[in-house]
Amino acid sequence: MTWKDIAPVPTAQEFIDIILSRTQRRLPTQIRAGFKISRIRAFYTRKVKFTQETCSEKFGAIVSSFPILADQHPFHRDLMNILYDADHFKVALGQVSTAKHLIETISRDYVRLLKYSQSLYQCKQLKRAALGRMATLIKRLKDPLAYLDQVRQHLARLPDINPTTRTLLVAGFPNVGKSSFVRSVTRADTPVEPYAFTTKSLFVGHLDYKYLRYQVIDTPGILDHPLEEMNTIEMQSVTALAHLRAAVMFFIDISEQCGYSLKAQCNLFRSIKPLFENKMVYVVLNKMDIKTVEDLDPESQADLMDLTKSGNIQLLRASCATQDGVQEVKNTVCEALLVERVNQKYKAGTSSNGTMGSRLTEVMSRIHVAQPADGVLRETFIPEAVKGLKKYDKADPERKLLARDIEEQNGGAGVFNVDLRENWILANPEWKYDKIPEIVDGKNVYDFIDPDIEAKLAALEEEEERLEQEGFYKSDSDLGDESEEEILQKAEYIREKHKLIRNEAKMKKSLKNRAIIPRKMQKKSFAQLEDHIDQLGVDTEEINLRGRAQVREPTRGRSLARSRNATEDPDAMEVDTPKSAAERLRSQSRPAQRGQGATNRRDDGVTGGVGMDGETARSKAERVAKLGQRKMNRMARAGEADRHIGATMPKHLFSGKRTVGKTQRR
Amino acid sequence: MRVDPCFFCGRPAWPSKGITFMRNDGKSFRFCRSKCHKNFKMKRNPRKLKWTKAYRKNAGKEMVVDSTLQFAARRNVPVRYDRELFAKTVKAMERISEIRQRRERIFYKRRMAGKRAREVAAARKLVAENEHLLPRLRGSEKRRLAELAQETGQDVEELEREELAKKAASKKTKAFGGEVKRLRVRTDGGVEEISERVAGGGLVDEEDDDENDFEDVDDDDEMDTD
Repeated sequence: MTWKDIAPVPTAQEFIDIILSRTQRRLPTQIRAGFKISRIRAFYTRKVKFTQETCSEKFGAIVSSFPILADQHPFHRDLMNILYDADHFKVALGQVSTAKHLIETISRDYVRLLKYSQSLYQCKQLKRAALGRMATLIKRLKDPLAYLDQVRQHLARLPDINPTTRTLLVAGFPNVGKSSFVRSVTRADTPVEPYAFTTKSLFVGHLDYKYLRYQVIDTPGILDHPLEEMNTIEMQSVTALAHLRAAVMFFIDISEQCGYSLKAQCNLFRSIKPLFENKMVYVVLNKMDIKTVEDLDPESQADLMDLTKSGNIQLLRASCATQDGVQEVKNTVCEALLVERVNQKYKAGTSSNGTMGSRLTEVMSRIHVAQPADGVLRETFIPEAVKGLKKYDKADPERKLLARDIEEQNGGAGVFNVDLRENWILANPEWKYDKIPEIVDGKNVYDFIDPDIEAKLAALEEEEERLEQEGFYKSDSDLGDESEEEILQKAEYIREKHKLIRNEAKMKKSLKNRAIIPRKMQKKSFAQLEDHIDQLGVDTEEINLRGRAQVREPTRGRSLARSRNATEDPDAMEVDTPKSAAERLRSQSRPAQRGQGATNRRDDGVTGGVGMDGETARSKAERVAKLGQRKMNRMARAGEADRHIGATMPKHLFSGKRTVGKTQRR
Repeated sequence: MRVDPCFFCGRPAWPSKGITFMRNDGKSFRFCRSKCHKNFKMKRNPRKLKWTKAYRKNAGKEMVVDSTLQFAARRNVPVRYDRELFAKTVKAMERISEIRQRRERIFYKRRMAGKRAREVAAARKLVAENEHLLPRLRGSEKRRLAELAQETGQDVEELEREELAKKAASKKTKAFGGEVKRLRVRTDGGVEEISERVAGGGLVDEEDDDENDFEDVDDDDEMDTD
């Protein structure tokens, strides 16, 4: 219940400034006479509406941010009434609300008028009128707004009083030590001064008792006069007394140092007694260090006793100056209050016939404390060995040896190795330091570890024996008979033959940069023919192959020298022929045999025409060739025969930017 | 320390060899070599690659169902060390592997049953079709033998037959190959040493499966499985 976050209420002038500047900022005038009238109208309509919306929004926020009195707790309602005057408050808020409605009406009217405006000027004037009227209305709200801002500031400073929680209420004449008590039992910093009405409003402090938070309310002093004559300060105390369901602690100063007589104080108690209805009331006699009850005259004593007679009113003693009895007072009151509240709740939750309500049952079941069944007493158990245990002491030579000590004895950290196997739990402690096989023949031993391996192995052996008997392992080696072996051998021979044939064909097929020569034109030597026929099982001598060959006519067509596969007749005799000039030249520069390849580029294809032998044709061809070259030579051009070294770095392969890909591909 | 089977090919991956991939769901994949790791990264299916155990098992090339294969398993039940139990286990492991080898041998034999018959049939067909490629005597040799027969008074036909046989036998190993000694494991567990002539280089017959069957990994990818 705080009103600390109410937004500040601006004054009327500020309000006007805010609204107009906002309108100007959000809707700057971007309109000219040349625009279509509908557009101009729409713009000014928007301006008026926007101003109205801003006003409504602001006023709405003000009205809704202030507490509604009817919704408040009676205590708060009364307190506000006393402090701010409820009527005034309501009127102020009402005025703001009315202004909001009026502004809305103005806006509506002017928007309607704007629809019929004919020019930019007319529109502007209408807008000015509308905004002006709104501003006038706001100016009239000057007083209510100022008042509301003051209320807001005061509300924010009101103590945070929770009317429903556990509360101790401190009341009494001025200057009897109420604030001193609150100061000594709580963390509140209530002002304490040696004059009356130091405390002019309610103060709240908090204290803890039995892990519960209590609220202590310090009230201003009350004088003993009729309610109508009480001022605002006293009325706050009365409001608190009237509305808060609390334990009331009525402070009485029997030393009369406060300036009021004991009798007056007692009379006050009696006069405000109607406010103590249904409340726990304690009369606290303060300043006991100055004067005790026993020091009083009997008449006064009797007067005091008379106070406590009616109802459950207790008399307590304390001295805030020496702190004597202050804590006792606090504890007594808190304890009693706690019990009282629990009882009240219990009573409220229980219906007249004694059954508990669902909520109460739930709470009661939750606070159930479980006890061991059958009332068995269970005591803590401490083993004897632990009881007799000696306390570890580093200086003691017979102390228990720690792992750290053992490490130290064996060379310290970095040298000592912890024996991890020491505490292994094995069937036989002798096995502790066995070398455990992990891998045998590439197999993990642990995969085979099985407590009943023996039985399983036995089962396997049994199975093995059975299989043996069944002839599972009988080997029937099917050694083939003689004929099969022979067939296989033959097949082997044939496969090899196939491979050789295939290989030869492949070799023949590969062109190696030579022209394809038709099969018909390929020359085979006579020896090859002879060999082949011999291979086929025919005796060549018998059929007189060679004799027949020699009587054969010289063949037509290409010369044997052109034969491709170097199949020149090996039997042909080497004949000395007169060499031409060019031939002689070449024979000097090159070894005679090497240059004589399968082809002769000089002579091949040079055949004599009609009435011309090879030699004349040759010389003619040479003459023609020279003639063709003449022009080239005269101009010193590089011909095809000139030595030429191709570019090692051809431009098209090395120029340009590189991206992905190969260097050769540009 | 343990020898895990390679996730991809099933080969044993020894400690310090290969690589382990831990997937972010906690499953670990042990690879015996980078080849397997790369193939795994390429999302290849080991069942479709002929060189993996998975393929061989899937294709029925290896013994899958057998009581000897049930001894090794990750049991995930801790057993305390017991010297006697370990001794027994190690001994059992030896015996189990012995039996297993024997059974694998038989498995292989059964799988290869009928192979020779098929081979012989194929050879018959080949010989029938390629009679003309078989070795025969040259004309000049025939003449030489006839002359020899006249001189010595022997039968010409017999001399020819002898010559032909010599030719056929010597033909194969003329250029390549030589004698090879092999160990042959018999089904009864014995080992015998055999020596045979083989052609070397490109002339080796690929389908001589029967000869190298004592090896663990055999390259038998012929018609009997498909």
